[in-house]
Amino acid sequence: MSAEASSHAASGAGAHPAPYRSSKLPDVKLLMWVFLASDTMFFGSLIGTYLAYRERSLVGPFPRDLFDIPLTTVSTFVLLMSSFLMVLSLHALRQNDIGKFRLWTAGVAFFGAIFLGFQVFEFTHFAHAGLSIHQNLFGTTFFILTGTHGVHVTVGVIWLVSLLITSYVRPMKAKDAVYLEIAGLYWHFVDIVWIVIFTVVYLVEFV
Amino acid sequence: MSDGKHTSVSTYVIVALILGVITYVEFALVEYPQAWLGSGWTIFLLVALSIVKFVMVVMFFMHLKDDDRTYSGFFSSGMFIALATFVGLTAMFILPKAVASTRPDNRAAQEAGHAVPHELLDNIETRGASRAPAEIADTPAVADRSVSVEAPTAPNDASTYNVTPPAGAAAQGGATASTEETEATASTEATAEAPGAVEAAAEETATEETAAAESTEAATEADETASEEAPAAAEEASAEAPAAAEAPAAAAISWDKDHGAAVFNANCMACHQMTGQGIPGAFPPLANHAVEVYAADGGRDYLADAVLFGLQGAITVNGMTYNGVMPAWGHLADADLADALNHVLTAWDDEPAGFQPYVAADIAARRADGLSAGDVHAKRETLGLH
Repeated sequence: MSAEASSHAASGAGAHPAPYRSSKLPDVKLLMWVFLASDTMFFGSLIGTYLAYRERSLVGPFPRDLFDIPLTTVSTFVLLMSSFLMVLSLHALRQNDIGKFRLWTAGVAFFGAIFLGFQVFEFTHFAHAGLSIHQNLFGTTFFILTGTHGVHVTVGVIWLVSLLITSYVRPMKAKDAVYLEIAGLYWHFVDIVWIVIFTVVYLVEFV
Repeated sequence: MSDGKHTSVSTYVIVALILGVITYVEFALVEYPQAWLGSGWTIFLLVALSIVKFVMVVMFFMHLKDDDRTYSGFFSSGMFIALATFVGLTAMFILPKAVASTRPDNRAAQEAGHAVPHELLDNIETRGASRAPAEIADTPAVADRSVSVEAPTAPNDASTYNVTPPAGAAAQGGATASTEETEATASTEATAEAPGAVEAAAEETATEETAAAESTEAATEADETASEEAPAAAEEASAEAPAAAEAPAAAAISWDKDHGAAVFNANCMACHQMTGQGIPGAFPPLANHAVEVYAADGGRDYLADAVLFGLQGAITVNGMTYNGVMPAWGHLADADLADALNHVLTAWDDEPAGFQPYVAADIAARRADGLSAGDVHAKRETLGLH
């Protein structure tokens, strides 16, 4: 895609000189990477805060009382597989295979929704066990971290569904792939953040 | 971009399979712990596996492997700053601990060979760290944290009492009682017998640390047989210091406003705020509330119980529900708690009708009950607050 856009920009540069452009890369994609870089710092701080306050809660419930590793493993797997469907969707759109694009995109949004369902279940369970955002340091840092991640997933699901709807409103072609690609970059990013959270928040707790 | 440069579907499938397998391995490492691996290596493996997953997604699914270097540049800069933040945060929280042990006063204490006896440690309330809330609510607070000690027998070791000489001498008189009765009672008697001790003892604002330092000083001064008992004797003396302060308070029903504010600011302010307003929804207000509790039937005792033993359970204050935990403050001295309570009752509101400032003896009397945080909550229900 970027090569196509590059050649686009290169040929376009001849017809309409665009002195303000210093890069041949598609703006939206560059912007997305810059955003992801900033979001990395954001999540880095949140995870760092969680670890800094780890095991400093004065009162329960404590992580070990609440975490359910098999359940979280399943939701982690669901999110990973949604990332896989995401690349299939992008691949299909680049092949102008709108049918498969719609199928895989719907699959990504569906898997994302399942992940969110797991999170809602988990949060409800934790709340019943007495964990709230102001119960202890664990509650505060855990809900802020995973809640922020959950908001990211929600935004991703809405974004993908809107792209899906767009494909019915106006024809989507391979040249529109860059818009799906940046949504995909965002989605994969949310996935890798969860890869880190799954390990440092959940798994390490039980070692 | 030409299709040839795109990652093929088969690559995606392989990557997805590897990601799935790694996730299962991570799960298995935690769910079926491998004894031969040890926790250190298990954590190392888990982190390594998550890094592999991370890199695979970034390289293949996000296409950074084949894509323009600019993107990688931006992303790695972000990653770098995130890691730096991470390291900085960790350092901020871990380094102070490491540095603290090298501070001169701490080192001096270590070199003097001063160590907290195990019997004492068992009596220190850990404020529920690592215990479930239900367990905290069910556990009665330790009523009497004083340690019964053997009284010094050598006739010449009055030198070990140079912290509060007259009170110490008196305590020696009541020493036989201290093995059977609680030390608080013993020292109260002691000060009652020796009113001359009051001034000296009141000046002695002995914190645990200074008491410890003094105990080592005293130990070096004493002769060999007495030196074994010296820390214990200083312990006794430090316990007396606040107890001794009650005598003038009882006489004049006046209390140390500055000290009350200081105790409040050091221990209570973090949650209840300097203005006593609390934090709506999280920490209940004391201003405009403590006085009405005090005025209720049994409220005076209840307030002392709440600070001594903590409070756990849902309460309603000014129409807002609070469901948190107030830790027990029984490790503070009676006189400190009394002044803090007086501060709470007078700092922001007109003092309640018939207000009698708390004195250390009031707190000491409540201490004997040994309630749990849940008991205190039950007691609150009987006060008839709205």
